Amino acid sequence: MPGGDFHPWLFVIVAAWVLVCALGVVAFKKIMYSAVSMVFCFLGVAFAYALLYAPLVAVVQLLVYVGAISIVIIFAIMLTEVQDGGYELFFNRQTLAAAIVALVGAAVLAIVALSADIGEVSEKALTPGLRPLAALLFDRYVFPFELVSLVLVAAMVGAIVLARRQEERR
Amino acid sequence: MNPLDWWLLLAILLFCIGAFGVLSRRNIIVVVMSLELMLNAVNIALVATANFRGGSPGAGTLFSLFIIVLAAAEVTVGLAIVLANYRNRRTVQTDTFDDLKG
Repeated sequence: MPGGDFHPWLFVIVAAWVLVCALGVVAFKKIMYSAVSMVFCFLGVAFAYALLYAPLVAVVQLLVYVGAISIVIIFAIMLTEVQDGGYELFFNRQTLAAAIVALVGAAVLAIVALSADIGEVSEKALTPGLRPLAALLFDRYVFPFELVSLVLVAAMVGAIVLARRQEERR
Repeated sequence: MNPLDWWLLLAILLFCIGAFGVLSRRNIIVVVMSLELMLNAVNIALVATANFRGGSPGAGTLFSLFIIVLAAAEVTVGLAIVLANYRNRRTVQTDTFDDLKG
């Protein structure tokens, strides 16, 4: 199986990019700034997949997240109101508790993840080729694959039904 | 620390930033965006673990693809609900959605 080394400097750049953009999503007052920050965060995550030697996931990330989900969210922003004002309009009363929960959660998760025994870990990333992936997808996981198409159709119909303006009753 | 630990740390930090956004923001569209950040964090952890653990990395890649597709379905339905609600109430602030409060 092909694969490659871990590049510390590239990792630091990508990690800083992703985390700064994620903080931007949470902290910006103007919601459009949040949305643009989110698009850049998704882009950084796509680079992260590329660094992890998962090219297929990187391309799908670009297509689905950077291409589709961002557009849907920006449409939703443009169809709803824009608000101006101080930070108390943008953060709710439980912000302090939320910050504590997030920090404690991060600490607990980090301790668990770093101390857990998850077996042998290699220094190099392995990558499945496209051919084994296709074999796996269309053989062993073919039922979930078909089920996902059903979910997509249901979501599409549901979104249309929910977002459509009700016709006037006469 | 081996490379996998660094990737897991990145995923954990991203997940908790997203969780903070979900818990603290008032605009429901920002809540949806933070939710997407959390899903991305889970995906990074999944792909990193699959590719560094050896064994069969293919399954981890496929699971992350399924998560991406289901996230797309989730965000379309979620934003459709947001828009339907906006038509009725003219607001997207989470603290006004309190009809079930006794």
